[in-house]
Parts: sequence; C-alpha cells; structure tokens
Amino acid sequence: MVPVNRGLQFIIPAVIYLTILVIYPTVYLYYMIFNSLNPLFDVTPRFTGLQNIYTLAQDPDAAYSIMAMLLLTGITVPLQLALGSLLAILFTSPHLRGRLLLRSIMLIPLSIPAVIVGLNWKMIFFTYGPLNTFLSTVGLEPQPWLSAPFGNTFNTFFVLAVLDIWQWTPFVTLAVAAGIESIPPYIQEAAALDGASRLQVIRHIVFPLSKTVIIIVLLFRLIDSLKIFDIIYMLTFGGPGNLTTTLPFYIYKVGFTLTAAKADIGYASLLAVILLLISTFLVLLVLTRVLNVRKVVWE
Amino acid sequence: MDKRVIGIVVTLVSWAIGVIYLLPFLWMIGTSFKPIGEWGLPSLIPESPTLRNYLEVLITGGIYGVRGHFPPIVRYLFNSIVVSLSVAILTSLLGSLTAYGILRYRAGGTFFANWILSLRMIPPVVILYPLVVLTKVLGLYNSLGGLVFVYPVITLPIVTWFMIGAFKSVPRETEEAAMLDGCTPFQVFIMIALPQASIGLATSAIFAFLFSWSEFLIPLLLAPSESAMPLTAFAGYFSNQYGILWGPLSAAAVIISLPVIVVAIGIQKYLVRGLTLGFIR
Repeated sequence: MVPVNRGLQFIIPAVIYLTILVIYPTVYLYYMIFNSLNPLFDVTPRFTGLQNIYTLAQDPDAAYSIMAMLLLTGITVPLQLALGSLLAILFTSPHLRGRLLLRSIMLIPLSIPAVIVGLNWKMIFFTYGPLNTFLSTVGLEPQPWLSAPFGNTFNTFFVLAVLDIWQWTPFVTLAVAAGIESIPPYIQEAAALDGASRLQVIRHIVFPLSKTVIIIVLLFRLIDSLKIFDIIYMLTFGGPGNLTTTLPFYIYKVGFTLTAAKADIGYASLLAVILLLISTFLVLLVLTRVLNVRKVVWE
Repeated sequence: MDKRVIGIVVTLVSWAIGVIYLLPFLWMIGTSFKPIGEWGLPSLIPESPTLRNYLEVLITGGIYGVRGHFPPIVRYLFNSIVVSLSVAILTSLLGSLTAYGILRYRAGGTFFANWILSLRMIPPVVILYPLVVLTKVLGLYNSLGGLVFVYPVITLPIVTWFMIGAFKSVPRETEEAAMLDGCTPFQVFIMIALPQASIGLATSAIFAFLFSWSEFLIPLLLAPSESAMPLTAFAGYFSNQYGILWGPLSAAAVIISLPVIVVAIGIQKYLVRGLTLGFIR
C-alpha cells in the first residue's frame, strides 16, 4: 500500500483551484444573505441583518417560484423516465430497422445548446409562427402558446413542461438502452428458450437488471431539472405574469434584472441558498440510498 | 403475432418518434435559407432559397429598419471557439490529474471524491453573483480569460469522474513495474497511465468542449460585451432584443449547432457514459 500523502500532489492543483472558484463564492453567498445590494443604486453591500429573511416571509412570488419549480420537476421527470424507458425497449428491439440513424437523430436535442432548443421552439410556438399557421390551414384554432395564462386550453406552464419532456426523454432512452444492452444476451436467450414471451423477458429480466441504471438516470434528471433556466429565458422570460418563474429564474430576476419588484442581490442570495438546500436535500435522498462512492471508485 | 407485423409496427412507431425529434431542427435549417417573407411559414423547404441570411450573419451584418439590426457574428464565434478549446485543454489535464490521485492513491478520501461529484449539482445561478465579484476582483470580468477561469466549475466534475472510469481500465501492473524501475508517481502518471487512457482523455476533452460551447447563463452575466461574449449568449440576447429576425437567427443557430451535433454523433458510444459521469457505461 502506497502512503496516501504521495497522492496529494495529484489533487492539490484542483483543490487550490476549486477553493478559489467554489469555496470563495459559497462563503460570499452566505455573507450576502445578511446584506442588501440594489443592482441599480448601490455600489457596496449594506449590512441589514435578518431583513432578507423578513422579506422572504412576506414574498408570495418566492413561495410561488418554489412551487412552480417543484411542479415542473414533478411533472417532467417521472414522464421522462416512463417515456424514455418505453422508447428504450422499442429502440433495443431486434426488429427495428435503421436503429443507428434513429439514435443519431435522438442526439439532436441533447447536443445542441439548450438556448438554441429554446430559440427553435420559440419561433415554432410564436403567435404568428409556423405551428399556428399550420393549425389554421388544417382548420384548428391557433393558440397563444407562450402567453397563455392558467385557464387556457394550452397554458404556457404546460407547454414548457412538454418541451422539457421532449428535450430530455432521449437522454433517458439512450441511457436505459445502454443499460439493457449491457445485460448479457444469453440470459434473455435462455429465458426465450424456456418459452418466455418478449414482454415476460422485459418484465422479469430486463427491468430488474436495469434498476440501477434507471435510478442513476433519475438522479441526473433531478439535478438538471432543478437547474432549468435557458429555455425559460428564451421562451417566456418567466411570463405570462410570473406563471413560469421557477426558483432559478426568480433568483435571476431578483438579482440581475430590474423586472422583479424586489430587485436586490442580497435577497437573491438568500433565495439561492434555499435552492441549494432544496436540491441538496432531494439529491441526497436519492444518492445515499443508491450510490456508494467508495464502492463505485475503489472496489 | 407474426414476427414481420411486430417488426413493421416497431419500426413505424420508432420512426414516427424520430420525426418528432428531427422536424423542428429541419424547419430551422429550412428557415435559415428563406427570404424575409417566408420566415413564419411552416414549410420545410424554402420557395425561393437564398444565402442572404448566412452572408449577413457571417460577413456584413444586417439592417432591418424598425425591426432592428445586428452585427456579424464572427467575433462571437471566435470567442466561443477560443473559450471552449481552452476549457477543454485546461479541464481535461486538471481533471485527469485529480482523477488519478483519487483512484490510485485515494487522495482526499471518500469526502473529496464525493465533494467533486456534488459540484455537478450546484445550479450556476446560485453562485453567479459571487463569480461576478470574483472575476471583477481578479480583473477577469468581461474577458475570455474570465470565462476560461470560471467554466471548470461546470466541466471539472464531469471530466474528473469520467477520467476515474477511464483510469480504472488501465492495468495496474505496468504502473507498478515502472514504479519498481524507479519512476516517481508523477512520471508514472505522465508516461504510463495517461498514454494508456488517451481515448478517455480525448473523449473527456470533447465533453468539456461541448459543455462549454453550450453554456449560456454564465457568459450572459460574466461577458456582457462583444470582446468576450460567446455565440450562445449572443443568440439568446439578440433573440430577446430583436425576436423577429428569424432568418438570420436561424442561420446563426445552425452555425452554432451543426459542429456540436457532428461531434456528438462522433462520440455517440461514450455519450451516455459522459452525461452520467461514468456511472452508466
């Protein structure tokens, strides 16, 4: 066994780098919670004690943004997992023609920048855009996709959810397909020889053996879905009203734009800490139950 | 049921879904070749195709009266390329160094490995303001160097964990033999381990490149002017300012997207592994 300290030379550069890049900002973030800094008028932060916490307690927009974020995650992630797994079964079927080309197509929404996905759909959903033009040619009612409040047939919040499902289902599909393909084929063949139908093989062999993969996918979808920002910025900018202002976008609005009623960087920092706590909690919930880092790396 | 019927149904359903994924992007490619009157139409193929959008976006810039105007994107494209390449080189080297220390020497223990992994979780918006302050203090605000300095907060955890997986498949015996011959641990890393993990190193560099290329929120606030703003931030910012210039916007979007689609298809085999930091192989 080699002494541990001989390995330190390998990680010291990263430790120093990340101390500057991550630890300093995190400490600064907690410092800012007790300060107030208006992006327009102030140059240096003013110490205001617990003022931001009082503001938070009386801010219905903050409560709404947390709910909107959890609702978006709660709708999109389970549907992505379900649809993605179904597609993975389809895409690993030996009967499928043109599998390689199809998989390459599924890479499009994963590889192009999320901003461009947003731009692309912004044009498509535009009031006088191709989707509505198409709908009116076939005799259907055009919809105000990106400015429809709750109560409309298609409200913008769910348009956004559908878009996120569209964008990230391929990730689930490709990951689960990789998981299915890593199951040794002889196991499935043996079951088939014993007279099991394809559906029985999937139910009793493929699904149990893909469990770990699905949980890992869930973990990554959870992490990224709590970060969704780019497509909201592009498609709705949090609107109509604050319908699609999820917590990450609310932090951006409060800290970096003057569109929020309470534009203040100190207050935005408090919201950021809350986002950090929520995502840490949710991720730890999944992580500690399934992923043992010691086991993954060293054993 | 007849095997052939199943085959046809599976293929048809799968390809119907494939079309849903292909159509929006095809429409945008079509729009990038459309003249001004056709921008909003649902047709995929322009009636009178034109290269004007590409010409304006790349070389001349465009002036559309009250609808707005835009400069050529060459400078922004240059910024994107320089930043993404630098980040790819920086993080793949730093990340593989760290990964090797974690894997072979357990440097920093479980805590350090966990901590690097947990960085993948931080939403960038959370530490954005401190990063603005930090880059201003260091004199890197609104500069290409500033973006190269900050992006590893996204890419380093990805590369490190990807490289842990890559080094795992390098046989230990050769390293131990080199050690017995008197090589220092660092020499073993440079001369034995790294060359054997070279495919992993290249792939992780590509991942760092892809993630840097797509980054939007960080440059939006850290690089607000032409000298450092990358293409993604430019496209986002200008579509919100002059949202109706669809032809040029589509052309710009196609220019941003095509290279990364090609790269992603090229590393298709490793894509899932990279996106899940090596947890799914």
